Amino acid sequence: MDGVRMNTVTSRSGLADSFLPWLTCVAMLAALAMVFLYVPNERVQGEVQRIFYFHLPSAWMAFLGFFIVAGASAAFLWQGKRSADLLAQAAAELGMVFCSLVLLTGPLWARPIWGVWWTWDPRLTMTLVLWLIYAAYVLLRVFAGDNETVARYAAVLGIVGVIDIPLIYISIRLWRGIHPKVEQMAPEMAWTLLVCTGAFVCVFTWLLWLRLRSLHLRDEIRALRQHLVAAS
Amino acid sequence: MWAILWKDLLLELRTKERVSSLFVLALLIILVFVFALTPEQLKQPAFGSALLWVALVFAGMLGIQRALILEQERNCFTGLLLCPIDPGQVFFAKFLSNVFFLTVVEAVVAPLTLALLGLPFSVSLLGLPLVLLCGIVGFSALGTLCAAIAVRTRAREIILPLMLLPLLVPLFIAAVHVTGALLAGEVWTGTWFRVLVAFDVIFVVIGWLTFGFVVQE
Amino acid sequence: MSYLFAAFSVVWIVIFLYALSISRRQQELSREVETLRRMTEEKTNTESL
Repeated sequence: MDGVRMNTVTSRSGLADSFLPWLTCVAMLAALAMVFLYVPNERVQGEVQRIFYFHLPSAWMAFLGFFIVAGASAAFLWQGKRSADLLAQAAAELGMVFCSLVLLTGPLWARPIWGVWWTWDPRLTMTLVLWLIYAAYVLLRVFAGDNETVARYAAVLGIVGVIDIPLIYISIRLWRGIHPKVEQMAPEMAWTLLVCTGAFVCVFTWLLWLRLRSLHLRDEIRALRQHLVAAS
Repeated sequence: MWAILWKDLLLELRTKERVSSLFVLALLIILVFVFALTPEQLKQPAFGSALLWVALVFAGMLGIQRALILEQERNCFTGLLLCPIDPGQVFFAKFLSNVFFLTVVEAVVAPLTLALLGLPFSVSLLGLPLVLLCGIVGFSALGTLCAAIAVRTRAREIILPLMLLPLLVPLFIAAVHVTGALLAGEVWTGTWFRVLVAFDVIFVVIGWLTFGFVVQE
Repeated sequence: MSYLFAAFSVVWIVIFLYALSISRRQQELSREVETLRRMTEEKTNTESL
């Protein structure tokens, strides 16, 4: 019965539950130590540049979230598996969290360096549009309730969003010219960035796992409840 | 497919409510902007083109929403799905009827806007209709798909713009730039025009392919 | 320097808030599990009577 399914979820969660939090903690501590103790100051920007080591990994996680949403949405429309839909939902929420982090840390970096909180630079604009698409996706889930049909709507929106991204990127680049990229990095900086990215991947995966598990649990509770009501 | 399209057009011919309300709405939006801008700004082609597209996008959004709410309220989608036709064809019918209505509205609103702002007609006689049509096609394709999703949710009035506007960013930037260049008498068939056409092609195909997932019960 | 601290605290606060929201939802689910358990117990009790 349903109890059997519940067991499989809990046994699968055993490894991830004991392993992931510790890994995340260690990675995060290492990342913080490297950002504050190990890496030298950037010559021009000084200390503020250290924001970069959390800013850029956040941006990558936001993109990662979007790709997971798109992949899971496509898998859901293709095979109709509930777990793919739940994965898309969890990844969208996390993508939005990390996209918010990019948008919050970005201005805190821009203010001392450029003297303004915000410029309509292509990447900033792109991130903002991305955040808005995420917001629409999450709100669609909220407004459309939680039945089978909403899963299909959200999947279609997720796919449309991802197809739109290259177009948005091209048009925004054309609109505002090309922004200089990150130049040659000192090896210390590259290592710090790598460790920070690793730490962010851990945080992302852990939170994704927690959220996914709670979504699965909600599904199972709902199934049990229906089962009970039907039996009584 | 042609039968569904024909039904939509016939309904509109009888009542004329959609085209007339969209027309008034587009004019009102333009009026609001005219009040907000200075006379010097109004003469600039960039503002003229932005104004045209803002009016088109906002009026069009309500128009598309209206069309699909009507279907939803009368449970027409269920009826359409019971017919032995491909959902892709339902998409094309809805999409073409939206294109048609917006083109009719724009055929009046666009020249009127140019006249109100004192922008020249002569340079844009051939280009402007083409550019407007390209914009309308992309807008209607994505709009039809998003509205079909939005009408089945609570808070459908708010969720449509939330979904549609960020996705429309490339279309909007491209269309405004092409129209601006057109009105300024510059070369307009460059990269921006290609972005606009690419957007059209991509989202007509996507709409056709995914519409079935949205309307099935 | 203050910008650096602001940025890092923002990162922590946002992640913490999201984790909090997950745990809140998790608590709701545990409560629901509890009610379900009681429902099943009541049912088995009445059946055994």
